[in-house]
Amino acid sequence: MDDRPLVAAAQRGDRDAFRTLFERYHRRAYALALGVVRHQDDAMDVVQDAFIKAHKYLDKFEGNSSFYTWLYRIVMNVAIDHLRKHRRVKPVELDETRVENEGDDPLLPRILGGNPGRALVDKQIRARIDQALDELSENHRAVLVMRELEGLSYEDMAQAMACSKGTIMSRLFHARRNMQKRLLDLIDHPSPELVAELTGTEPAASAEPADETSPRRARSR
Amino acid sequence: MTRSPVQADAELMEHADGERDDAELAERLNRDPAARTKIAALHEVGELVRGHLELASDDVPDAKFAAMWRRIDGQLDAPRGAWPRVVAWFDRYRSHVITGAVSAGAVAALALVLRPAAPDTGLAGRAGGAIDVRPAALRASPEIDALDTPGGTGTVINLDDEDGHTAVIWVSPADTVENL
Repeated sequence: MDDRPLVAAAQRGDRDAFRTLFERYHRRAYALALGVVRHQDDAMDVVQDAFIKAHKYLDKFEGNSSFYTWLYRIVMNVAIDHLRKHRRVKPVELDETRVENEGDDPLLPRILGGNPGRALVDKQIRARIDQALDELSENHRAVLVMRELEGLSYEDMAQAMACSKGTIMSRLFHARRNMQKRLLDLIDHPSPELVAELTGTEPAASAEPADETSPRRARSR
Repeated sequence: MTRSPVQADAELMEHADGERDDAELAERLNRDPAARTKIAALHEVGELVRGHLELASDDVPDAKFAAMWRRIDGQLDAPRGAWPRVVAWFDRYRSHVITGAVSAGAVAALALVLRPAAPDTGLAGRAGGAIDVRPAALRASPEIDALDTPGGTGTVINLDDEDGHTAVIWVSPADTVENL
């Protein structure tokens, strides 16, 4: 069933219709919130508040975009507000209007293993993704999550974060490159289990790092 | 003006994201295998982030979201205003508040039980400001100087040691063996 009749029914006060919308999008909203706030309980709070807000302002939704597009903006706003309210450490932001900052590196011409679906089975890789996301600044992480999870355009992200497209591009570039660096570090010092996971072979007995001839490690640098 | 490698890569990323339609960049991608690998690497990182967050979302049990819906449902009907918000806050954090209250009560009770007993100086009125209503004789340890014992003799022994003051009264009747 299309969202529009559900939204129309929810706007007329049909609680079941709104519940259907909740059941349709709560996990997607949670993934988005988790990517930004990084704590499961906080992400749950964000999703809950976002749906309450969505219900409160449902009358203002005119249907110019999809319901989810409208909802994710609310989720992002609530998540960013949450970060501002609960900020424990003031992030150090570089001059984000410029791509090139001191110590910047270009993108790395290397892929990790070529099979993200298989890589995600490995707990080490997932733990490293978590760690790498934690290490990004809040703004870099928010942009990365919006882009990778929701495929937002630079313009949409600039509106959501109240900044320029150039700033969004800079944040996204740094976020992606930093994620890549941290994940490649894991690949360069892998456990035998990880090598086996990525290459689809049995785990080796020794704990030696994968050699340069590993078939899944494209290295063109 | 020549572009730095970082700027060139940023433009490459914009092109790969569909944000920059540039024939020169398309040409670079065609002829430069390293540029193609960089774009493949960006897509790979994107897939890893997306897949990881979606898996994390799938890991949350349905029951948690069902409980979330009950809380949302409960708040949708809530009247607006300060008091309902306080009640809603309490409802949401009820277990935290109860746990905190019980813990505070337990700590207070423990402190009450374990506090050191105050020495009984008999001078509570002075220390606490309250009036001591005990007879004057009881406000300090009594000391007996003499004892009238008709039909016998009495001896009073006053002892002062680390336990305080003790008065021993020794009475010998007149018809004891010694006097027979």
